Amino acid sequence: MALTGRAGLIALVGVVLVLLAPRPGLAFALLVLVLVVLVAVDLALAGSVRLLRFQRLGDRAARLGETVEVTLLVENPGPRRVRGRLRDAWAPSMRAVPREHTLDVPAGERRRIVTTLRPLRRGDHRAATVTVRAVGPLGVAARQGGHQAPWTVRVLPPFLSRRHLPSRLARLRELDGHNPVLVRGQGTEFDSLREYVAGDDVRSIDWRATARRSEVVVRTWRPERDRRVLIVLDTGRTSAGRVGVDPTSGDPAGWPRLDWSMDAALLLAALAARAGDRVDFLAHDRAVRAWVSGTSRTEVLAALVNAMAPLEAELVEADAPGMVAAVLAQARRRCLVVLLTDLNPAALEEGLLPVLPQLAGRHQVLLAAVADPRVAELAARRDSAEQVYDAAAAERLRADRHRITARLRRHGVEVVDALPEDAAPALADAYLALKAAGRL
Amino acid sequence: MSTPVSPRVRDRWRTWRAPLAVLALMLLLATVIVLLGRPRPGGYLDAEATTPQGAHALVALLGNEGVVVEQVRTVDEARAVADPGTLLVVARTEYLSGADLLAQIAALPGDRLLVEPLTEALEALAPGVTAGDYQSSTVRVPGCGLRAATLAGSALTGGEGYQATGATTCYEGTLLRHQRDGRTVTVLGSGEFLSNARLAEDGNAALAMNLTGAHPRVVWFVPVSVQGTGEGTATLGELIPGRVSWAVLALVLAVVLVALWQGRRLGPVVTERLPVVVRAAETAEGRGRLYRARRARDRAGHALRAAALNRLVPRLGLTATATPDAIVSAVAARIGQDAGQIRAILYGSAPADDARLVALARNLDIIERQVRDS
Repeated sequence: MALTGRAGLIALVGVVLVLLAPRPGLAFALLVLVLVVLVAVDLALAGSVRLLRFQRLGDRAARLGETVEVTLLVENPGPRRVRGRLRDAWAPSMRAVPREHTLDVPAGERRRIVTTLRPLRRGDHRAATVTVRAVGPLGVAARQGGHQAPWTVRVLPPFLSRRHLPSRLARLRELDGHNPVLVRGQGTEFDSLREYVAGDDVRSIDWRATARRSEVVVRTWRPERDRRVLIVLDTGRTSAGRVGVDPTSGDPAGWPRLDWSMDAALLLAALAARAGDRVDFLAHDRAVRAWVSGTSRTEVLAALVNAMAPLEAELVEADAPGMVAAVLAQARRRCLVVLLTDLNPAALEEGLLPVLPQLAGRHQVLLAAVADPRVAELAARRDSAEQVYDAAAAERLRADRHRITARLRRHGVEVVDALPEDAAPALADAYLALKAAGRL
Repeated sequence: MSTPVSPRVRDRWRTWRAPLAVLALMLLLATVIVLLGRPRPGGYLDAEATTPQGAHALVALLGNEGVVVEQVRTVDEARAVADPGTLLVVARTEYLSGADLLAQIAALPGDRLLVEPLTEALEALAPGVTAGDYQSSTVRVPGCGLRAATLAGSALTGGEGYQATGATTCYEGTLLRHQRDGRTVTVLGSGEFLSNARLAEDGNAALAMNLTGAHPRVVWFVPVSVQGTGEGTATLGELIPGRVSWAVLALVLAVVLVALWQGRRLGPVVTERLPVVVRAAETAEGRGRLYRARRARDRAGHALRAAALNRLVPRLGLTATATPDAIVSAVAARIGQDAGQIRAILYGSAPADDARLVALARNLDIIERQVRDS
């Protein structure tokens, strides 16, 4: 049960009456009696909250940054009208509005209540309790009760880097058979024969085919297809560090490296799927967190986004040997392994470097890391002694990154180290370069 | 489909009855313990009070010695029990106002012991005694020939010093005894040594027993409220009209109801697992603070030089294996400056103080900019 402001107001009026009454003790007793009777009558006549039935409709998934509308159908099978307030509670980061709804459901009818969510965080979010406060006809007291109306909203990674996709697809088409001159090389395979048009490279004329026909015929080439790209996302402690500015909320505290890496992975997956490659996905720290394999090219993006949604950075050191073992177990044929991790010298030297030869021996490895713009900022400011010390520390960090990058390159690993905003396009460019060179 | 989750009234009762029972039991026990162990209340030198201020300890000692102590609160009660063989102990004379009342007390038979009498009471009950300066309360030696005092030795005394012709004064005048009109009158400047708190110290108990235990019966006249006539005796509570307390009660009810209205939440608090917030630059900033704290100018200078060289060498068209001499001469040739100066900046000793460190950083920046722009 719950009381309303009216109960307090009645008691306040009672204070004046007690002051004025000829027999104050009796007046006070009467006041208490009146209040008790009013509350009891109101509680007895208020609509039953327990009998209410709820049903949910609406969105089950949304990208981070979009709004989600969740509809709650409130059915009142009880004999009395339910009038009062309703709260459809969600976790604070879902930013549900309005916080409270006014509710008025006559007996035997249904009402629709829409709550708008603006999620701040990725992942699966479950609806909390639906609470109804049904006020009695006198407006003095109310019945209150909660219901569990389950609903889950999956908030997907925003894939902000998709704005870079058209330009990269154009670059991909340049590699394609339309322009044979550009793509002659070991990274191409024979596609088809077509009629010669002015401007074609004469070296691509297929004389044997020309001899069989009445016109000159050229061979066209296209980039190699049906290669495998395995995207490996490190969800260990280094992925929890926040860099840059959160692009979805503008939070200057930054966005985790994990989210920037996901963004880059999605652009790469979209590009590779269009280029005709098969994309697999593995998320790993101490254990396999997510695994996507064997999806068709049209569905790979949806599958990836779904697999990524619930991933969170774990505060444990990533198990590089375990990750390499998982990759080797899954990828028997040679493929492009894209490692999305951080160029953290301590973590890499202890974890990845000892086992890297096993991986680099069988697969082409591309390591992509998100650099911290704050480090560059620190290194550039040198006005006072304090700033110079900070700049020295930042330079030391950058030197460490360069050193580890050089060591990785000696192992034949391609390294992409880019600022948060540039990470996704830089990774896509590295992939296109490998494809053009036929190194997949 | 939805399921109701709020407990029914009987579920709630089932959940709460055990804690409520425990709470009730605890309250009961606490009440009993407090009632049993509470010191009996009472004011200063009250014969029944077991508080530090009371005088129950002394009264109990007297009782053990066979002295009958009659506790009285009013003059009428005192008159009923007093006879020429008793000792009348009068304390808290601030409650005794009016010449009539004091005259009634003065007419009581028997010896007297006055504790901290006010001037009015002193004049009425011990005529001929005058009060002197006030003296602080401290342990004093008797310094007189009074047997009761010399047997007890030093005791906690103080208050006003008294004088009278033909009287014995001890403890620097704070104890006075003289014979007058066939009775012995004793005046004490301070009754503190009679209290429960002080009785066990020094010669306090002995002095108290010597002064009060010489008679077979003692009339202990310590009033607890104003005696006599002429003054209003109503307490503050009696002066407030009854309806006001009822109205205050109603007001309390209103406040409680408003609190209940505002305090009831619409549904439980929703909890959420929050992500860790680690700024990736924290390691760089932490290292910078360490350098600063240890004044690690050598390491800082080395890091700055190494970074500058890393950027300079590719610009100069040299490989990473180039010797310092080659780099210095290449830079000198490119920007047209003295090679010795450039060597001192790029390969010199560690800066000796913060100012030189800042200067080094600035010089490195200048060389880099000149190489870049040339």
